[in-house]
Amino acid sequence: MRIEQQPAYVLHARPYRETSLLLECLSRDHGRLGVVARGVRRARARTSRAQLEPFRPLLLDLLLKGELATLAAAEDAGLPARLHGDAGLAGLYLNELVVRFTSRQDPHPALFDAYARTLARLAADEAPGWPLRRFERDLLEAVGYGLQLDAEAGSGLPLAADGWYVYQVEHGPVRCPPGRAHALRGADLLAFAQDRRPAPEADLALRAMMREAIRHHLGGEPRTWQMLAAMARR
Amino acid sequence: MSASSPLLNELIEALRCLPGVGGKSAQRMAFHLLERDRQRGLRLARALEQAMQRIGNCTRCRNFSEEPVCALCASASRDRHVLCVVESPTDLAAIEQATGYRGQYFVLLGRLSPLDGMGPQELGLDLLAQRLGEGEIEEMIIATNPTVEGEATAHYLAQLARAGGIRPTRLAHGVPLGGELEYVDRGTLAHAFGSRQALD
Repeated sequence: MRIEQQPAYVLHARPYRETSLLLECLSRDHGRLGVVARGVRRARARTSRAQLEPFRPLLLDLLLKGELATLAAAEDAGLPARLHGDAGLAGLYLNELVVRFTSRQDPHPALFDAYARTLARLAADEAPGWPLRRFERDLLEAVGYGLQLDAEAGSGLPLAADGWYVYQVEHGPVRCPPGRAHALRGADLLAFAQDRRPAPEADLALRAMMREAIRHHLGGEPRTWQMLAAMARR
Repeated sequence: MSASSPLLNELIEALRCLPGVGGKSAQRMAFHLLERDRQRGLRLARALEQAMQRIGNCTRCRNFSEEPVCALCASASRDRHVLCVVESPTDLAAIEQATGYRGQYFVLLGRLSPLDGMGPQELGLDLLAQRLGEGEIEEMIIATNPTVEGEATAHYLAQLARAGGIRPTRLAHGVPLGGELEYVDRGTLAHAFGSRQALD
């Protein structure tokens, strides 16, 4: 199947054979794709290696046969997102999440849009925490593990804005006494559900909630967490 | 492969482990050594065996070395106040050949890449932190590649350096010498433009 002018981002590249690269790409209409880019590691390649770096909006022409696609052409679809410092590590985290949560050739247009939005937010020098939480929420939603953020587990009653809840993965928010570890206010959960920034005091509990959900559905921890933890220890 | 001897088959199969060597080239190499160059073939075999068994990694810089501490790290004529961190031994060789750098090195043998399972531990950053802690180093030149993963690694290394009170520096990115702007990749040009220097 020929795919033309497909919006996509490269998530990861590894050397393949002598002069080629095996790319993992996130495309808008075909989901994650394994793409062989022939000869791009040669000195005079038609498509430069720099162009196939992550975080660059691309339009790809591909020939999809079986499991892998072959790259016919790549052109820039905008300016690359320049992620400095912590934003760069956050970008690698996005890529790891996408690769580990999606299967090849499983389309998730909403995920593609969320990914592009998150890159723009990270490039705009926003502190990475909030953009990452929004992405984690949208990613889980897109792949079918969406969190129930506006109704109590079991009863399905609407959350009370001033109530306290702990989030139980696969169930939802459960009422708890105030001040419990990783407890969240109903108002913060509702804000998160409506994509409004919860109170800054809720940052840690929000992160713990998303991490618990990711750990549960992944059956392990993303490598990037270990990297960030090692960095925090220094 | 339709070679008539099992040993020959084995040799051809073994040669295919080299990068860029497929069945055809492997066969040509094997026949060449057997037909015309047995002496040098034996030399190759000896060198290969010794190298594979005796070359390890330097305990200070992680570069390839058959001694516990490599010649570069042991040398008294190298500046012990400057440390250049590179991704691979080939990068080290490139810097040695192209610059007059007289300081020491640290070889990561990779770059931070969560999807390849490369984290701080795999890059020997504990060892690097230990070296920084010895107190001799004043500047850390971060010479990881200008890729997304190389930049993330550089950011991580810079934090490590600052935590140890060491000044981190980074190789500059720019337009290649003798190049023409028209043909320079957009990202490189944007970078070069952003980090332009005053002429004085």
